[in-house]
Amino acid sequence: MKSLNGIQFAEMVQMGAHHLFQNADYVDALNVFPVPDGDTGTNMNLSMSSGAKETEANAVEHIGKTASALSKGLLMGARGNSGVILSQLFRGFSKHIENEPALSAAQFAEALQHGVETAYKAVMKPVEGTILTVAKDSAAKGMELAKTEEDLIVLFEGVVTEAKASLERTPDLLPVLKEVGVVDSGGQGLVYVYEGFLACLKGEKLPEKHAHASISELVSAEHHKNIAGFMDTADIEFGYCTEFMVKFEKDKQQFNEASFRTDLSAYGDSLLVIADDEVAKIHIHSEEPGKVLTYGQQYGSLISMKIENMRQQHIDIVGEDFKKDAVKPNAKHPYAVVTVAMGEGIADLLRSIGASYVIEGGQTMNPSTEDIVNAVKEIQAERVLILPNNKNIIMAAEQAAELLDIEAAVVPTRDVPEGMSALLAFNPSATVEDNCKLMSSASKNVKSGSVTYAVRDTSIDGIEIKKDDFMGISQGKIVVSDASLEMVTEELAKKLIDEDAEIVTILYGEDVSESDAEKLAEFIESLNEEVEVEIHNGKQPLYPYILAVE
Amino acid sequence: MSIELKNDYGQIEISNDVIAQVAGGAAIECYGIVGMATQHQIRDGLTDILRKENFAKGVIVRQEENDLVIDMYVIISYGTKISEVAYQVQSKVKYTLTKTIGMPVKAVNIYVQGVRVTNP
Repeated sequence: MKSLNGIQFAEMVQMGAHHLFQNADYVDALNVFPVPDGDTGTNMNLSMSSGAKETEANAVEHIGKTASALSKGLLMGARGNSGVILSQLFRGFSKHIENEPALSAAQFAEALQHGVETAYKAVMKPVEGTILTVAKDSAAKGMELAKTEEDLIVLFEGVVTEAKASLERTPDLLPVLKEVGVVDSGGQGLVYVYEGFLACLKGEKLPEKHAHASISELVSAEHHKNIAGFMDTADIEFGYCTEFMVKFEKDKQQFNEASFRTDLSAYGDSLLVIADDEVAKIHIHSEEPGKVLTYGQQYGSLISMKIENMRQQHIDIVGEDFKKDAVKPNAKHPYAVVTVAMGEGIADLLRSIGASYVIEGGQTMNPSTEDIVNAVKEIQAERVLILPNNKNIIMAAEQAAELLDIEAAVVPTRDVPEGMSALLAFNPSATVEDNCKLMSSASKNVKSGSVTYAVRDTSIDGIEIKKDDFMGISQGKIVVSDASLEMVTEELAKKLIDEDAEIVTILYGEDVSESDAEKLAEFIESLNEEVEVEIHNGKQPLYPYILAVE
Repeated sequence: MSIELKNDYGQIEISNDVIAQVAGGAAIECYGIVGMATQHQIRDGLTDILRKENFAKGVIVRQEENDLVIDMYVIISYGTKISEVAYQVQSKVKYTLTKTIGMPVKAVNIYVQGVRVTNP
């Protein structure tokens, strides 16, 4: 199959939606992240059905128009996190092909890739190990295959295989999944949609229900939801986790899954029933496990029973929760921001707002080109932005960027406040080039001031300066100089703060105390009542104060 | 200003800043949220995206009797279903606070201060 048109695509969407609908319960059961409320499948199904309905009503030969209908239907019907993500994936997908009458294999792969990029743009902190990861990995596989493969079916088969493999890897990326022992529910939902697409392309039928051999995943997800819901052991209403299998026998009652479920649900909650022609697996939390077992015996003989007292376990778990070591994700920074600072307080601050690595300058504060290159190598960055935060380091940073054999760019920040503003504008989903532009313009939105000591007698910008006096520097120009630190600082503040100022950040150095900084904050508030002042202990040498005014 | 919890051993005080940090941290992990905003509308229509230590400005915590009421000011990605993203934030914040602070949250009010446009 070399080309895909709108009518064929609409059929794919129907099949994807149907396959998800068939398995929505299973997706619900897996749902433990971000909130273990067991509605991922339901939400995704509602979102996808809305998309499928809109697609069906507007299906035309032109695939661009058909895909737009899908995107619109998904947006209108988006429910839940996974539904919103799904709508973004197809929004990017359809935007990319809106003028295409039909798609080749390569175009299809590009559209998937574009969908992933759009989806990643809509979130501040993308969490890996979710539907986002599954979409990303499988789209990347599609792009790779598109280089040589012209057949849509073969290409998409590769995409689906990779989606499944990526789904299996989700527990390695998201600790909570590993803890509970499940794969990500949203990712599973996407796999179902893709499987439906593929079956339609191949002209195959899918089994109405997936046979889930293992009940254990579902059970552990149920337990996780339960634990999350109980703050206190006393809250547990149904105390015994009861698991057993019934092997049906001819002379016993005829098994009917629906009524069996209804009857059992009267005995407790967290009910799971999975049955085939020979056996049923049951999991329930009940206060009366005996009655449950007796009920089960009406249908046949009981095999492999397990009953646990959850109140006892809960006491152990609550005690253990604080000791549990989280699974540590890799400390690599594929997309990194490397910056320079003097003073460990400032370094901490920069790290807290997103710097992957802070090179701490000493008294002279000028790291060499080599220092910068080594920092980037140490964190195994694949793409990097370098913020020198000092006029005198910009050159070294630019040389470092040239030496590095990865994508690297320098945002020419001249001081720490500019560096902070630039950092805040960093967008992990934008290219290095775009980020460089974004961050440079953001760094210009801040007015910086600093107070430091004069090292010799001089006269600059018409201001007489004596050795060891304090100097106030506003936007790189010396504006005031005097022996009194307080006077210099207050004059500088007056220069910097006008009625447009909103947030003033004070970074006080190692030579001043917090109470001095608080006095300064009061003075600044007296200049402009609207201003919000923040104080941080920057612990920087040589500069008693650094001010950032936004 | 802080939230007080009492038990047999004495009392626990949790400052509003802590609650704001927890709530803000939960919010920015939500899909569709591109930042927290200050509650004061910015003069030129540009909403500053707050950094972590400023969450307190975009998250207002009140205590009503024994319940928490939270107001959150957020920026949402253009092209997502805003009502749904806001609902996700409410549910995630409520869940996270109940889990970590053990105090019932009566309401999480979301104020969408802006949308950020990125080209799809």
